[in-house]
Order: sequence, then C-alpha cells, then structure tokens
Amino acid sequence: MEQVMENKKPKFDKYKAKKLVITLLPLLALILLFVFYIIILNVNDYNIMMNLRSLLNQSLILVLVATGAIFIFTLGQFDISLGANALFSAVIGTLVYKATGSIALLFIICILVAVGCSLLNALIASVFHLPMFVTTIAMLSVLTALATFLIQSQGSASGTSYSINLPSELVDKLAPLDTPIFKIILLGIFILAMVFIFNFTKVGRKQKFLGGNEKCAKLTGISISLFGIIAFALAGLGVGLGSSMTVVYAHTVSTTTASSIGMSVFIAIVFGGMPINGGARSRIYSALIGGFSYNIMTNILFILFQSMEGARDGLVQVISGVFFLAIVFVASINYRSKNLPR
Amino acid sequence: MEAINKQSKAKDIRKKAFGIFTIPVLVIMAILIVCLSSGQMILTTDVSFYGFTRYTAVVLLTTIALSINLSSGRFDFSIGSLSTLSSVIAAKITYAMLAGSGASAPVMLLISIIVGAVLGALSGALYVALKLPPIITSLGVTLIFEGIIYMISGGRYITTETSNASMIFFRESWWIHLIIIVLALGVIYLVFDRSKFGFNYKALRAGQNIAVNTGIKEVPNAIICYTICGALMGTVGFLQVLPGNQIATSVLNFGSIGIMFIAFLPMFIGGYIGKYTNDKIGYLIASICISLLSSMFALFNTKTITASIQSIVTAVLLVGFLIFLNNEQTCKDLANGTLIKKIIKQYKEKKNRGETNDKPQE
Amino acid sequence: MYMQKSEIMAISKFIKGVTAIALAGASMALVACGGGNSTVKVGVLVADASGDEAIGFKNYLQQYVAKEYNYEFVYSPQLDSAEQARAQAETFIGQNCKAIIDMADKNRGDLAQLCNTNKVYFAIGSGMMSDEDYNASKNLEYFVGQIGPDMVTEYNTGLAMGQYYKETKKVSKVGVYGAFIPNPMHLYRMAGLLTGLGDTYKGQSGQNIVYTVFGDGAQFDASNIAGDVTIDYCSGFDGEGAIFGRVGEIIAGNPDAFLSVGMTTTFFADMLDKANLEYSDIDSFTTANGAHMKTGSLKYLAGKYSSSLGPIFAAIKSAIDGKAIRLANGDAFSLSQGYWTAKSSAEFEKFQSADSVTNPIFNKTVLDTLIGASYDSFKAAVELDRTPQ
Repeated sequence: MEQVMENKKPKFDKYKAKKLVITLLPLLALILLFVFYIIILNVNDYNIMMNLRSLLNQSLILVLVATGAIFIFTLGQFDISLGANALFSAVIGTLVYKATGSIALLFIICILVAVGCSLLNALIASVFHLPMFVTTIAMLSVLTALATFLIQSQGSASGTSYSINLPSELVDKLAPLDTPIFKIILLGIFILAMVFIFNFTKVGRKQKFLGGNEKCAKLTGISISLFGIIAFALAGLGVGLGSSMTVVYAHTVSTTTASSIGMSVFIAIVFGGMPINGGARSRIYSALIGGFSYNIMTNILFILFQSMEGARDGLVQVISGVFFLAIVFVASINYRSKNLPR
Repeated sequence: MEAINKQSKAKDIRKKAFGIFTIPVLVIMAILIVCLSSGQMILTTDVSFYGFTRYTAVVLLTTIALSINLSSGRFDFSIGSLSTLSSVIAAKITYAMLAGSGASAPVMLLISIIVGAVLGALSGALYVALKLPPIITSLGVTLIFEGIIYMISGGRYITTETSNASMIFFRESWWIHLIIIVLALGVIYLVFDRSKFGFNYKALRAGQNIAVNTGIKEVPNAIICYTICGALMGTVGFLQVLPGNQIATSVLNFGSIGIMFIAFLPMFIGGYIGKYTNDKIGYLIASICISLLSSMFALFNTKTITASIQSIVTAVLLVGFLIFLNNEQTCKDLANGTLIKKIIKQYKEKKNRGETNDKPQE
Repeated sequence: MYMQKSEIMAISKFIKGVTAIALAGASMALVACGGGNSTVKVGVLVADASGDEAIGFKNYLQQYVAKEYNYEFVYSPQLDSAEQARAQAETFIGQNCKAIIDMADKNRGDLAQLCNTNKVYFAIGSGMMSDEDYNASKNLEYFVGQIGPDMVTEYNTGLAMGQYYKETKKVSKVGVYGAFIPNPMHLYRMAGLLTGLGDTYKGQSGQNIVYTVFGDGAQFDASNIAGDVTIDYCSGFDGEGAIFGRVGEIIAGNPDAFLSVGMTTTFFADMLDKANLEYSDIDSFTTANGAHMKTGSLKYLAGKYSSSLGPIFAAIKSAIDGKAIRLANGDAFSLSQGYWTAKSSAEFEKFQSADSVTNPIFNKTVLDTLIGASYDSFKAAVELDRTPQ
C-alpha cells in the first residue's frame, strides 16, 4: 500500500514553479528594490519617511493614470495623449476650483473633462475607423495647444513661464488631501475598484478576449466599439484622478504639468509585467508594481551616482533602460513565439 | 477593340494622375490663397529655399525610415535618439580627425551614416535576441541611446565640433540636399523594389507565418531593415545639424521621440499616392507638401499664436486625411450624391434580413 | 492555488538566492556610499542643467565654494514641472540637505512653504518669485531670500540695449529676435528694447507694453509695433529650419543690426557672423561668445557672471550658522542683481578673466565679509557695481 502511495505522489512540476516565479517576478523585483532602497537610505542615514513620502508623490499620479490606461492596453491599443489629457483636465479643474473653491468640483470637473477627452478619442477612431494610436497623436497636439492657450491667457506670468496658481486659502483647503494617508487610501480604493472591474466583471473578461483575439471576440458578439469606449472611459477616470491629485500636490498648473506622464505610462505598465499586446495575460496591478519599481530604481541610481559630475543623469537613464529590458525579458521568458514578435 | 483599350488606358492614366497630383495641387492652392491674402510669399530668398530642400530631405528620410519598420508591424520610438546619437558621435570623430577644417561636412555625413547603420543594427540585434515586442525594445533602446547622448555631451549644445565653413557650405547648397534625396530614393527603390531582400521583406510584411514557412529568413531581414533605418536616420541626424550648426543633446526622458511624429502625416499621404505610383514617389511628394506647409507657417512667425495654431492645423490635417483614407468609398459616394441612397438601401436590406429593431407589422 | 511542498521549497530557495544577491549589492552600496561627515549638504533645483550659464554656476558652486567651505552641492536632474520640483525638494529634505537653492522656477512659493515646514532653508539663486509669492513667503523663518534680476532689471537691460543702438549706433532698421516670447522674462526685455529704440506697441511704451500683451491673453503680434526704427521681427525656435529661413529673410532685408532678447548666440551666431551683420544678445560670458565677439559680428552682450551666486550662498551659510540675514522687520530679503554689458572684444575678455572658477569675483575673502553680515552691508555688497574697469 505504501509503495502504491509513493508511486502516486505527485512529482514536482518544475514548469509550474518556473511559471509561477516568472509571473511573480515583477512583484519580487519590487520587493527587492524596496528592500535595497531602504538599506541604502539607512546606510546614508537619510530620513526614510521623507524619502518614502517623496516616492509616493512621485509615483501616485503615474500609477493612477497608468492603472486606468491598462484597460486600453489590454485591448492591444495605445494612447499617447494621456499626459496632454491630464494637463488639459488639470487646467480646467484648477480654473473651476479657483472660481468656486469647491474641492468636490475640482475632482468632478477633472474627471469629467478627462473622460470626455478620452471618449472623444475613442469616438473619432470608432466612427471614422481610424487607427487609435494616430488619433491619440492628433489629440495630443490639440489638447496641449488648448491647455497652453488657456494657461497663457488665464494664468499669471512669473520668471520664465506662465502658470495658474492657487491662492493660499485654496491651497490650505487642499492640505488634508495632500497627506500620505489620503493618497494611500485613494490609491487603494481606485486600485481595488479597477481590480474588481478587470478581474471579476464581464468588462474585464471581454476586454482580455478582444485584446487576445479580436476576430474571434467579434464573432462571439462582443462589440469592439462598445468595449473600446468603456476602456477609454475608464482610462479617463484614471487620468481625471491623476490630474486632480496633481493640482492637490503641486498647487499650480503650467504648460509642463504632467509632461512626462505620456511615455512614463508605457514604461510603468511594461515594467510591471503587462504584455504590450494586451490579451489574457494582462494584469491590472502592473501599473502599481511597475510605477513604484521604476521610481525606486531611479531613486537608487541617483543616490549611488550622486557624486558623479555631468554624466550622472545620462548614466542613470542608460542603466534604467538596461534594467527595463532585462526585467521585461525575464518576465516574458515563457511567452516566446517561434517567429519574431510584432 | 483598340479604341476600347486606348480609352481604358487613358482612363487609367487620368485616374493615376488624379491620385498623384490632387494632394500636392490642393496644398499649393491652399498655400497660395493664404500667402496672397497675407501679402507675403514663401521661398523668396536663398535661405528659405535651401531651408525648404533640407527639410524636405529630413521629412522624406524620416518617413521612409519609419515606414520600413512600421509597415512590418515594428513600432520604433528610437529613431530620434538614433539620429541624434549618430550625429553626436560623427561630430566628435570628425572634429578629432579634422578639427573643423577641410571636408568636415562630407566626412561627418559619411560617419553619421555608418554610425547610424551600426546603431540600427545593434537595435535590430537586440530586438531579435530578446524577442520582445519591438515597441518595448524601442522604449529600452531610446532610454539607452538618450542616456549615452547625455553622457557624451553633458546635455550641452554641441557647437564647436559642428561650426565650420564646410558645414555652412552644406547648409547653403540646395543641390547637395537634392543629391541626398535622389540617392536615398534610388537606394531604397533598388533595395526594396528590385532586390531579393526587398521581395522577402514584402513577403514577410504581407504574411509573416507563410513567408517564414516558405523558408524566408526573418531574422537577417529584420536586422537589415533596422540597419537601413539607422543609416537613413544617421543622414537625418546630420541634416538636423545644418540649420544652426549645432546639436541639441538635452533629450532625456523621451525628449527625442518628437521627430517620429513629423513622419506620420507624410507616411499616410505617401501611402495613398503610392497606390497610383511607387510609394517612394508618394513619400517624396508628401514630404514636399509638408515642407511647403512648414515654410508657410514660418511666414506667421511674427505672432505668438503660430506654434499652437501650427500643431492644431497639423493634427487636423492628419485626422482629416486619415478619415478620408479609411472612408474613401463613403467620401466618393458623398461627392457623387449617392451616399444617402446607399444608406437607405443598406437599411432596407438589413430590415429584410430582420436585423432592425423595428417592431413587426401587425 | 494548491502547491506541493517541493514547489514551495523551490520557490523559497529562489527567493533566498535573489535576496542574497540583493544583500550583496547592498554591501557594495555600503562601500559606494560614504557615511556622513561634517560636510554641509545643499540641494540645488535646476530646470536647465546644461546651458552655459547653468554650468558656470555649477562650476562655481562645486569647484570653488564647496572646497573652500566644506559644502556639498547636490544637483537635481532636469526638472520639467512643478510636481517634479516638489518631489525633488522632498527628496533633498529626506537626504538631510540643510538648504535648497532653487534655480528651476517651478512654483517657488509652494517650495518655500514646504521647506519651512520641514525646517530646511530655502533660497532663490536665479530670477525671482512673483510679488504675490514673495509677500506670502517673506516672513517664513526658513525662507532665506532671493537674489536675481527682477523683471524691472530685465526691462532695463532691454532698454539699455535699445537706447545704445538708437543713440550710439543710430539705427533706422533692425532685425529683432524675441526668443521665446510670451516667456515673461523675454517679454520684459522686449518691452525695454522697443522703448529704448523709441518704438511703441499698440501705442504703448515702457512696461505698459507688457501689460498690454498680458491683456491680450499673452499674445504678442509684431504688426502692432510702430515707430521711427523699422523692426523686422521673429521669435520662437522650431528646430526644423523654418525659423532659420525667417532669420535669413531678415538678414536679406539688410537691417542695420540684429537685436536679440536671448538665445541668438545659441541658435543664429554662425548665420549672423557669416552675413557680417552686427548683432546683440543677452546671454553669458562663455568662450564661444568670446570667439563670436572677437572674430564674428557679436558686438553687444549683456550677461551674468558665474560667481553672482556667491551672495545667496553667503546668506544660506549665515542662516545655517544661526546668523540669518533678515530685514529689520524680520522679513526675508529680495535683492536685484544686474547684468554686465560688453560692447567690445576687449571688454568681454576683461569680464571673462575677472570672474573665473579659480579667481571669482565673489571669492572667499569677499564671501567671508558677507557671511553673518548685517542686512545693510549685505545689500550694499550685492548691489555694488562690480563691473571690471
């Protein structure tokens, strides 16, 4: 009997274990980077809480926008106008907040404008059968130009630029929102909501299906237009939250607000393990993991190379690029196709 | 029979001529209207003319470079950083060799092309080695190239290595720009339309799996594509130095990707014109149109509003043209006045098939 | 998901292995990163880390001041937005910087508040805050003050240039480059330039030109310029060549001179040298500009000297040492520094050699007199005309 039991003992599945490790690799990388970061801060006797606060502030807006954008990427689409959308909605939101003093309106208007701009992208592309990426390129130019016009005409001039600044009484009103606790709670609620929609509703399932095999999905009756519009609406929600938190944090809007968001979203979600072509392997938490990982890595590099002259910023970026490719390579090692990917 | 053949041939020629010349004629007409109404004219001085030829070359080469990979499903963000890095390395090497004297410009051009090709090959090799989606590889390569540029230059404008009489001569010689255009077109035509490599490239583009299964080697093909793109962008990098005899190297955090966007509109226009002729001729015509528009925008440089208006106009043109391209038949029906009839007909057909929401009649 | 014990062990082995690598890396970091000593750390926020002026300031701080006073100046990466500047300021605070010098001009009022809350000194080393921000910040304990050309100084610099060309050079037609107008700094300079030339904008002169442009939603239209001196205007930089064509057209119109409120020596020097057209600019005293002045046709250059950052350092050190320099009513100071103007190659060389990294105008001897000085002495020293004779 024992012999039989022994023979029936399940063998260790190396493949399963490997697959699990690969899947968890972005999370493991985040944990290791975080540990390493804490060690470096400790060794240098830096204020850990202040640095972590700075990290949260660096990453929050990126993670909010990128998490919403996951729905677009799941469909295998791109949106390069996210940064411009964040800028434009922040401008409108700030102007409304200055006029009304209502924090609720700040958030509502930012979200409505961001969702509206996102939906406009989706509608134009879907009604006129345009490639989505090119539509977003056009929207990038239009939104940036409109935002610049508004800032220059409605803002105040100072030094070398124009900006729309919040007066001190309105800044003070925002103080309770500009705290780590509020930001973590907001981030947590948003992430949970997106996880729920992505993993436990038809919306997420159908979007993964569309991203994986559009023809097949269409034949089963899934409407590409409808779910495209839903994806952009959800992305707009992320952008709106991100832009309102930008105003809460920076207390000002200028033409360079959210300037780095556009491309950073790509980096964050891919770094977090999201397949760029979308589909079933898409993970809603990729933005969270990738956004924080990338910023921690950059912060570590800046500390390590702090004393280098001139070449520091370039070296940090080179190393970031190498790490980026390495992490993405390892994370997708199980998913190699025979032919070159496109 | 002969008459019928002659007629259909003539119709064919008219159709091709219409397809090829409509857009450039419309662009020229629009420019003339704007110029005449503002009392100014473009390309009235030597400076503006050789600026026009140089920019045409830049747009053309960038468009070809982008389209080579993009039409094979390989999106490449790194072409901007590649062009800047090629010109930076070429400037440094040329200055080390010649100290700004003699034939600095042609030497720098040659080295820029070679360095561009090498960098492109490296980028391609990385793509085939890692087997990651090309857009991801290009993101990483962009970060690396931009970082290297910054490490070499410290983010400063490179001027000493690029300010010399030879560069000024190249800037002011419109015929050199034309030679570059003609040579580039010739080489690209021969390589992609008249060589085995080109046929393999088109086969892979049309059907990757089938092409690979028939024995076409995809990996060397991809690497050569990236190499050719690199050489083209190396040339662009050199041409970008000419206006001010300087290289702006503070391009961290994807500051270099902007050049890619100037190629989208000419790529689509060129693709459309290419249906009636060779697509390279289409790209050339489109690049000339874009360059003319850019010269026109420069006339309104006296007003602040120019930059914003320019971006919006370009964006509207891009979307407008794409709407036309993807709805060509609908646009033709609209022009013929048959669109409404078609919509009604389609609706009736749907109704007959029972696909409408109308309640059935009692 | 159910896992076999062996699978769990394999994974934990993997995690242990990776953790070991991380700790080894951390050990290397221990070697790489030094522990703290008595060096005082100051963070510097920059929006442009690569321009000649920025590099001049950096060299002065890192190669002279740091060595003389055992200070460490840590530069931020290039900051593009207010939120990046704020996050970087937080990082500097977290890295135990005793002070932050801002040269990025990204929502300075907000940064002053942030630093004050965290008991880190904050000073502005380039340009100035808006009046509104200054009034809100001046009584903050940790706001040291600001030294830089204010907008009036920018206006006066443009005015001096215009007057020089009108009265001394007797120009009747000029080309004008507006740099990045409606950038406020360039706009103020342009207003001064137009006024100095005796021209008007929409019938306005002086700083009213600026207010008129602001009233038009910051839209500047050169067709509104009128006056005895004919102006052929262009501005902006597209990097694609159209602007060079426009400048070429201006040159082809045979103006008496080409006047600029900034960036011309960076973008168009070669074109103007080749055309042998006299030009002016507001930039800095770099070797390249010296060459343009010696062998080219640059004939008028207004610029800042690198060690002009010295006084703000002295003020920061005073504050850190517990002898903060404040106004009589306890407010933080706001002082203006002007430009040097070279009108010949000889003058340029004199200015350049008067202020170098090894022998700056604000050297240790001078700085020592400023550190812990009274406000009146400090003010007099900052505003003293130090133009080399």
